[in-house]
Amino acid sequence: MAEETGLFIYGIVPADVEPTADAIGVGEPPGEVTAVRHGELAALVSEVPLEGPLGRPADLTAYQELLDGTAAVAPVLPVRFGTVVTGADAVADLLEAHQDRFAAALDEFEGRIQYIVHGRYEEPALIGDVLAENPAAAELADQVRGQPAEATRPQRIRLGEMISQAVELRREAENRQLIEELGGLAVATAPRVPSNELDAGSAAFLVDRDREDEFVDAVEAYAEQRRELIRTRLLGPLAPYDFVSAHQLVE
Amino acid sequence: MTVATTGGDQAGGALERGGGSLADVVETVLDKGVVIDAQVSVAVVGIQLLEINARIVIASVETYLRFAEAVDRFDITPKNQKGLPDLVEGASGAVGKGKAMSGLGKAAKEISGAVVDSLGDRDTDRDRERPRRRRDKER
Repeated sequence: MAEETGLFIYGIVPADVEPTADAIGVGEPPGEVTAVRHGELAALVSEVPLEGPLGRPADLTAYQELLDGTAAVAPVLPVRFGTVVTGADAVADLLEAHQDRFAAALDEFEGRIQYIVHGRYEEPALIGDVLAENPAAAELADQVRGQPAEATRPQRIRLGEMISQAVELRREAENRQLIEELGGLAVATAPRVPSNELDAGSAAFLVDRDREDEFVDAVEAYAEQRRELIRTRLLGPLAPYDFVSAHQLVE
Repeated sequence: MTVATTGGDQAGGALERGGGSLADVVETVLDKGVVIDAQVSVAVVGIQLLEINARIVIASVETYLRFAEAVDRFDITPKNQKGLPDLVEGASGAVGKGKAMSGLGKAAKEISGAVVDSLGDRDTDRDRERPRRRRDKER
């Protein structure tokens, strides 16, 4: 047992939050999740060995599940994945030093939950669409279709570039529409960066618990309107990952 | 036109609820959350993190060639069919399999339903398009 350990911090919560016995922490074997309390605040933590890297899929999943599970019952301020401190004293110092900010942020998240709406273009429908509205691209498509890739490389690059640019414009427009249609039902919205060249609109929404059903209905309507062109997914309810940037401690 | 709204197009059918895949987890939590900087007078321990990079979209020749290849793969042929917009304006789920996208403006209205139909059936495997984990060095 000479192995050195640290405390992995998941998030900051009001002091009355109690981790349930079945909460699974990061690490292998998973650490037991406990709360380190200080005044009105607490941090959800678990012990991790300092040797050996973190970040296996199971670690990320455990981190997210713990935070999302907590967010379902209490406000929580996610702390960036991978934050490890020396021990309970350090956690208490941290809570002490930023008490007011953390408390204010938690107030803001009381009764609110995050959702992510993520659209992905259906490639055939999207490309068919682009070719239909861009005669030059359609012409290039005729030239490359069924031809060996090596023989038509310049045309292919040009065609792909046109499609790519068209997708970018559509994505921007789609992002605007997404915020326009759903933003009114949310307390706050945050744009999300695309992670795939077929990404359509994508944004995070901070939603009041008592408007949740209304919000989800609106997302369904949004998805329905676009069903042939965009595959829309709704992630959540989640901890407010996309809404904590204002509370970063980097000064 | 006969409106048969029960044809599997009920509200809610288009929206997928989910998350839980590694790609979703990575995109949801990575680089989010309160940053506790070393400047803060707290004993932050540097711990080794496995390298996980969410994929960042950079338009590249590779992307272009992939799009061009998709044109081949799906045999996408645009058929300009004017007159469709009228139908689309009143779109209910029954305007034909292709057409529940009245909110999309001109572009969407110009595509022919026939094209959408023929393509929609082929595109069964979207998983291939999941974000990949990619190391910057390889780019």
